Amino acid sequence: MRARQITRVVAACAIATVVGAISIFPANAAVRRQGGGGGDIVIGAEQEGDCADWISSCAGSSWQIWIMGQHTMPRTFDFVPKSKTSIVYERNVLLASEPTVEEEGGKTVITYEINPDAVWSDGEPITSHDFFYTWDQIVNGEDIYDPTGYIDIESVDDSDPAVAVVTFSTPYSGWRSLFGGQYGIYPSHILEGQDRNAATVNGYDWSGGPYIADWQKGVSVTLTPNPNWYGDPVKNDSVTFQFLTDTAAEFQAFTSGQVDAIYPQPQPDVIEQIEAGIEGANSYFTPYTPNAEALWINNAAFPFDSVKVRQAFAYSIDRDVVVERLFGGLGITEALNTINPPITAEFADTEAFSKYTLNLKKVKQLMTSDGWEKNADGFWEKDGEQADIVIQSTEGNARRALTEEILQELLGNAGFNLTIENHSAGDLFGQNLPNGDFQVGLYAQVATQLEPGNCSIFCSYNIPTEDNEFSGQNWTRTDLPQIDPLLETVGSSSDSDEVAAANKKADKISAKFLISLPLDPLPNISLWSKDIKGINKKAPDSGVFALFWNLAEWTKS
Amino acid sequence: MTPLEPRGPVIAEGSPLGSLVTLPGAGGEVSETVTVHRSQWELFRRRFMRHRMALISIGVLVLLFVLCFGADIFAPYEATRTGVPQDLLLGPVGPSGAHWFGTDELGRDVLSRILYAGQISLKIGLAVALLSTLVGTVVGAVAGYMGRAVDQGLMRLTDLFLIVPQIAILAIALRVFGYKDITVILVLAGVFWMYEARVVRGQILSLKEKEFIEAARASGASSTRIVVKHLLPNVIGPIMVNATLSVALAIITESTLSFLGFGVQPPKTSWGNMLSNAAGYVGTPRAYLLYFPGLAILLTVLAVNYLGDGLRDAFDPQSSH
Amino acid sequence: MLTYVARRVLYSIPVLLVASFLLFVFVRATFDPTVKLRASRDPQAVQRERERLGLDKPVPEQFVKWLGDFVQGDFGHSERTRESVSTMIVRALGYTVQLIFWGVVVSAIIAIAIGVYSASRQYSKLDYTFTGLAFLGLAMPPFWFGLLAMQLLSSGPKQWFGLSEPIFPTIGLHSPGESGINLDYLRHLVLPVMTLTVQIIASWSRYQRASMLDVMSSDYIRTARAKGVPQRRVVFKHGLRNALIPLVTVMSLDIGAVFGGLIITEKIFSVPGMGRLFFDSLLYGDIITLEAWFVVSALFIILFNLIADVLYGVLDPRVRLA
Repeated sequence: MRARQITRVVAACAIATVVGAISIFPANAAVRRQGGGGGDIVIGAEQEGDCADWISSCAGSSWQIWIMGQHTMPRTFDFVPKSKTSIVYERNVLLASEPTVEEEGGKTVITYEINPDAVWSDGEPITSHDFFYTWDQIVNGEDIYDPTGYIDIESVDDSDPAVAVVTFSTPYSGWRSLFGGQYGIYPSHILEGQDRNAATVNGYDWSGGPYIADWQKGVSVTLTPNPNWYGDPVKNDSVTFQFLTDTAAEFQAFTSGQVDAIYPQPQPDVIEQIEAGIEGANSYFTPYTPNAEALWINNAAFPFDSVKVRQAFAYSIDRDVVVERLFGGLGITEALNTINPPITAEFADTEAFSKYTLNLKKVKQLMTSDGWEKNADGFWEKDGEQADIVIQSTEGNARRALTEEILQELLGNAGFNLTIENHSAGDLFGQNLPNGDFQVGLYAQVATQLEPGNCSIFCSYNIPTEDNEFSGQNWTRTDLPQIDPLLETVGSSSDSDEVAAANKKADKISAKFLISLPLDPLPNISLWSKDIKGINKKAPDSGVFALFWNLAEWTKS
Repeated sequence: MTPLEPRGPVIAEGSPLGSLVTLPGAGGEVSETVTVHRSQWELFRRRFMRHRMALISIGVLVLLFVLCFGADIFAPYEATRTGVPQDLLLGPVGPSGAHWFGTDELGRDVLSRILYAGQISLKIGLAVALLSTLVGTVVGAVAGYMGRAVDQGLMRLTDLFLIVPQIAILAIALRVFGYKDITVILVLAGVFWMYEARVVRGQILSLKEKEFIEAARASGASSTRIVVKHLLPNVIGPIMVNATLSVALAIITESTLSFLGFGVQPPKTSWGNMLSNAAGYVGTPRAYLLYFPGLAILLTVLAVNYLGDGLRDAFDPQSSH
Repeated sequence: MLTYVARRVLYSIPVLLVASFLLFVFVRATFDPTVKLRASRDPQAVQRERERLGLDKPVPEQFVKWLGDFVQGDFGHSERTRESVSTMIVRALGYTVQLIFWGVVVSAIIAIAIGVYSASRQYSKLDYTFTGLAFLGLAMPPFWFGLLAMQLLSSGPKQWFGLSEPIFPTIGLHSPGESGINLDYLRHLVLPVMTLTVQIIASWSRYQRASMLDVMSSDYIRTARAKGVPQRRVVFKHGLRNALIPLVTVMSLDIGAVFGGLIITEKIFSVPGMGRLFFDSLLYGDIITLEAWFVVSALFIILFNLIADVLYGVLDPRVRLA
C-alpha cells in the first residue's frame, strides 16, 4: 500500500465531502420578480425573531415585525413621522375613507370602508371577514401575545364584504392601532379552517402588503414586490434583511459596505463609531421614541417596600450624568422625567421626575428618618440588615452593563451596595419579573401605539399573583389605589384632553411615590448609505415601525 | 483499545481542548526510570537553563504576578472611581502620558484595571491548574496503579467528555452556578481534572511493570509507598508540564466564556471580561480598549506556554523538540 | 478493517447512550421549560405544557420516551421557534459541516506543510518563525483574533484603499442572491475559517513537526538514505506517511474543540450553524433543542472519530491486523 492506496482513499474522501458540501447547499430558490428598477437593497437586522405568527406569544420580537410583518400584512393605519417630534397615524391605502366612530347606546361603533382595489397577493379581495377572522383569532386563539384592545370588541359585523363594522363593549382609546399595529390583518380565505400558528410560524408566502417575504432562517428575509399590491408601486427590486446578531459584526458590515442600512440599538460602541464619523453615510438619532428605559422597582421587595428608601435611591443617582455618559455622543444629555415614552409626551407630565437629582443630603435625611444608619462599611443598615440592592437586566447588552456599572459607582457612593445579576431575556421577562424575584430591573417598556396606557403595568389589580397564575403585567407590584381610576380613564376615554389630564396626574403620583425611576428614552439610531434614496433625512424614523415604514419608496443608486 | 482512546505513539492526551496547548512531548514516554535523586535535579536545572525563552518567560511571569498582585502599590490609579459624577463624564480617553493605556468608558485608568483584572485572571488560571492537577494526579495515580474498576471508570468518564463540546458544557454550568470567580474556577477545574488524570494514569501504567517497581514491591513496600515514593516522582515532569499548560488554557477558556457572556460580573473584572466589554470597539478610535487586555492575555499565555516548553525539554531530553 | 471499524461502532453505542442520558438529565435539571408560560394569560398553560412534555413523569421514563422518538428522527419541537428541532438541526448542520470541512482541510494542509518543512529544515530561520507563530496562535483568544482579523482584513483595507466592497466579507457564507461554490463563497469563508483554525493550525503543525522529526531520525529512514534513496522521496514517501499517524490521532481528539470553536466563530461572522443554534437555545433555555443539539454533536464527533480511525487503519496496517 502504498502511496497509491492512500491517494485513492484521500481522493474518495475528498470527492465524497465536496459532493456532500454541494448537495447541502440550498438551491437558489428566489426567483427575481419584476420590481421598480430601484435596485437591490441590503439591510442589516440585529435580531432574528423566533417566529412569524404575529399574534402568538412567540412574536415578542419587534425586529421580525419590522422586517417582515409590516410589509406583508394589510393594516388600517400607518405610523408616519412628520418631524423630529411628531409621529402620527395616517390612513393606510387599505381603507377607502377615514373610519367613522359613533357612540351607540354607550357602545363605540367603528366602521371601516375597505378599498375596493385591496387584494391579497393571490388576487382575492381583502374583506370585512378578514377583520372578523383576525379579531376572532386574537380573542379566541390559544397562546396569544397580547389581546389588549381586541378583548374590548364585542362584535365584528362582516355582512358587507366591503365594510367592517366593529362594535366595542368598552371604549378603547388606542383603537387606531387595532387591525394594524404590530399584528395586521390575516387572510381568512387562506387560513380559515387551518391551524393559523402552524401555517405562519415559519413564514408564509402570501401577502396583503407591498412585498412578499421569503424568510431563510438564520440568514435573511428577502422582500420582493407583491405583483398584486394595490398601493403606490414599489420602487426597488428587492430588499434583503441580513441577520447580524453580533453588534461588532453589525457595524463592521455597515462600514465595509456589506449592508446599506442599519438600525442599531444605541450601544456604546455604536455611538463611539458615530462620533468618530462614518464616511458615505447618513445618520439620524432621536430621543423621540416609543421606549422608556427605567429602573423598574419592585415596590413589594425589601428595602424598596419603603417609599423613603425608594426616594433615597432616586436621590442617589445623577440621571443626567448617566444619560450623558451613555448618549452624550448623540447629543442626548437629559434624563427621561416621565414614566411614559416620548412619543406619548403630549399626554405626559414630562417634568414629573425632574426633582430627583443627585442629592446626598436628601438621601441621608430620608434614610435616617426611615430608621437606617450607615454601618462600618459605609452602607445603610437597619435592624442588622444592610440595604443591599441587586439589579437585574438582560445579559449580553453592553449598554445596560455599562449603565449598571455607572449605577454601581454612584449608589456605592450614596451608601447602597449594588450587585449586578443579569439574565437571559427569557428568564428575566418570563420568570423573575412576573414572579417578583427582583428588586430593581433595568429594561425598557416599548409602546406599540401613539396613545398612553399604563394600566396594565401599574394598576393594582394587575399585580401578578398565584391566583391569576402570574398573568398580570404589573411587575413592579405598584399598589396605589389612587392611580387605578386615572389609568383606566387613560385607556378608555376618547377625549384626548381628558386622557392627557388623567395621565399627567398619574405621572405626578408615580413620581411622588417613586414607583419606578425613568432613565432615558433609549434613543433610536438610523444609519444609511448615501446610495440609498427615498428616506426623509429630517424625519426618517417612525418609532413603532422603525426606519422601515416606507421601505417601498427606497431606491439604491 | 477503545475508539476514543488516543492511539499511536507519543501522544498527549492531556488537554481538555484536545491537542490544543498541550504540544508534543507532554504525556510522552518517560525516558528515565530510575528513582529521582539529586544529580537528576541538577541535570534538569541545567537543561532548563539552556531554554532561553523559558527563562525569559519566568521573568515575564514573575513581573506580571508582582505587578498584578501588588496592584495596590503599583497601579497608577484606583480600580474603581469613587462615584464622582464629574469623573464619569470624562469618558474614554486614548493612551496618553497620564494614562499609558488610556481610560475606559467610565474614565477609569485601563492600565490599573488590567493589573486588578490580572488578579482575577491569574487567580483563575492558577487555581484551576492547581485544583485540577491535585485531583487529577490522585485519581490518575489510583486508576493507573490499582487498575480495573477505577481505571475503567475514569477512562469511560473522559470518553464521555471527549465527545461533547467543552465550551457548551462549561457555558451551561456557569449559567446554573452563577458568574462568580469561584464558580468559574470550580467549573473549569471540574472538567480539566479528568485530562490531568488521564495523563498521570498513562504514565503510571507504563511505569508500574518496570523492574524497579517490581523490586520495591518484592521488598515489601506498601502500595501507597510505591505510588508516592517511586511512581509519582517519576511522572512529576509530565504533571508539571500539564499543570503549567492548564494555567494558559484556563485563562483562554475564561476569556472565551466571558466573550459569550458567561464570565465574572462587575465590579470584579478579568482580562476576558475587559475584552468582551470592548469587543464592539474594533475599528473605532476606542480599539485600544480591545488591544491592551488582549495583549495581557497573549503575553501571559505565551510566557506560560514557553515555560511549559522549557519544563518539558528539561524533564524529557529525548523529546524531539 | 471492516471488523475493526465495526468494533469501534459497537463501542460507540453505549458511550453515546450513557452520554445522552447524562446530558438529558443535565439539561432537564438546568432549565424549566415552563417558566415562560408563567406570563401567559392562560392559567392552565403551565400544567398542559408539563403534561405535553411529560415532565410530570420520572426522569428515566422521560428519557426512554425521548430516546425512542429521537431514534425515529423525531427530536420534538423547539420551545423558541415552534419549529421541528430536526429541521433546525439539519439546517444548522448544513452550515456547520461546511465550516468544519474547510476548517479541517485547510488546517491539515497548512499544518502538514509547515510541519514537514520545519522538520526537514530544523533550526532554519523559517522553522523558528513557524515555531514563534505557533506559540502566538495558541496564546490568542480565538474571538479576539476573529475581531482583529475582521478589522485588519475586511473593513480596514476597504477604508485604506477605498475599495467599493471588502475583499473578505464578514456576514454569513454567501452574499444575498448568491449560492453554490463560487468566488463569493470562498471569499466569505476566509475569515471564519481562519478564526476557527488559528489554534488548530498552530497545534497541529507542532505535532506534525515533532512526529516528522521522530520518524526522520528512525533507523529505516537512515537505511533508506544510506541506500541512496533521493531526499524528496525519503521525506514524502517514507517519512510523511509514518509521521501522519500521530497527527490523525490528534485530529480526531480535536474535533470536539473545533465544534466548540464554532460557537465563537459563528457568532462573530453571523453564520447560522450549530454554534449559533446552541447559543440561541441556551439563552432562551430551549431544552428540547439543547438535548438534541448535544446528542447530534456527540454523534457528529463520534462519526469524525470513525473517519479518523479508518484513515488511521489505512496509514498503519498493524491496526487492521490487531
